[in-house]
Amino acid sequence: MKVREIMTRDLTAEEKTIPVRELIFILSSALMSNMPIVDEEGRLIGVISEKDLIKAALPGYFEMLHSTSFIPDMNQLAKKLVQISDDSIEKYMERDFICVEEDDDDLQAADLIIRRNLKSLPVIDKEGRLVGVVKRIDLLEHLL
Amino acid sequence: MIITVTPNPAIDKIYGIDRLRVDGTTQDEFLTRATWSDTAAGGKGINVSIFLARMGMESVAMGFVGGHTGHVVVRDLRDEGVTTNFVWVQEETRTNVTVLERGREHIPRLINEAGAPVSEQEISRFIRRYKRMVKRASWVVLGGSLPPGVPDDFYKGLADLAKEAGVKVAISAGGKALTQALPACPYLVKPDVRERLSMEGADLSTREGIITAGRGVVAGGVEMIIVSHEFTGDIVITRDAIWEIGARKSATAFKNLVGADDALLGGIIYKLENDSGIEEALRFGMAAAILSAESHQKICRDVGKIETEMEHISLKQG
Repeated sequence: MKVREIMTRDLTAEEKTIPVRELIFILSSALMSNMPIVDEEGRLIGVISEKDLIKAALPGYFEMLHSTSFIPDMNQLAKKLVQISDDSIEKYMERDFICVEEDDDDLQAADLIIRRNLKSLPVIDKEGRLVGVVKRIDLLEHLL
Repeated sequence: MIITVTPNPAIDKIYGIDRLRVDGTTQDEFLTRATWSDTAAGGKGINVSIFLARMGMESVAMGFVGGHTGHVVVRDLRDEGVTTNFVWVQEETRTNVTVLERGREHIPRLINEAGAPVSEQEISRFIRRYKRMVKRASWVVLGGSLPPGVPDDFYKGLADLAKEAGVKVAISAGGKALTQALPACPYLVKPDVRERLSMEGADLSTREGIITAGRGVVAGGVEMIIVSHEFTGDIVITRDAIWEIGARKSATAFKNLVGADDALLGGIIYKLENDSGIEEALRFGMAAAILSAESHQKICRDVGKIETEMEHISLKQG
């Protein structure tokens, strides 16, 4: 089966110029854990996740962030988040991202999601434009 | 690709009842039990997208959604196979209620909420996305009312951007949202006459009034205007001709008129996009509308029957 047959047909994406504050609202409202970043032609140029934002707010602690017990003080995280909230997301987005093409096999998407422990994977067409996303839950639903 | 824009989407909640009691004094009279009900994502553009998806044609539904009902709208569209690209807003997407009384389903009772307010920032976010998407489109369908906060010239701005990109525009709306967009010269307009049988002061309640107003709109640069005239008949005016399109059906055969107009528009666009002539597109659109109106579901599911339904459609050039 092809990726196009199992992907969620959602084109929710933002441009790199929006501020962190706006991104957090969108991720929270749309129940997304990461956001594809596209250029003016809709081509995928990056991805930014909740993890990237936490890393941006608390870079020194990120490697130890397997549980909240490693955060010394929630106020510290809040304070740092406020400090970066007006920065454009360009500063924190992943440019070296993983994606699949819509004509790729579902097995390839499954392999990437499982091996890289990803919650979702952007899907692009031949021109590099975002056409959807494969979520971990899409795979599970597809396999059942 | 076809883009549909629904700035003010809704959850359409439809109740079928035996009799609507409005002046009851006893418990039996003030409690009305539904004999059937249906819940679906709604709004004019969304309905067109659902119709196109059932025809196997790709479309992207855009607009503003928010809260729990916003998620229901998006989920419903994805289940239908429609691609989504909505801007999330702070407030909850509205719910519209339709009550259909048995035997009088052709006279629905509607309760429509105003909709979730949209901020300037959210409008800007939408415009950015729309500019990206319109470059990939062949048609843009702008449909329905505008929510609080969205200016009356919203559709005009979107139509201008689409025309710059060489994309055909259809507008199905009423009031200022439609009249302010007419100078952008959309390809097709369908005035919403549910509340007012008029457009820019012109009377749309008679055949003569529709033709006079329609000729004025076409003279202004619109290619085609479609106006509902009777339950089973529309008048279509283009630069070259006037058509009267009708169905040999009784209005009492209708089970649910919600979305029938949108099936009409979807059917016409589907055929035009597949290089059919205007006459076939009009007959197909009307057949889709009639089939939708004859089913309890908002948009006909059995699209395979549309071609057969076309046998009951008459098309007369005036």
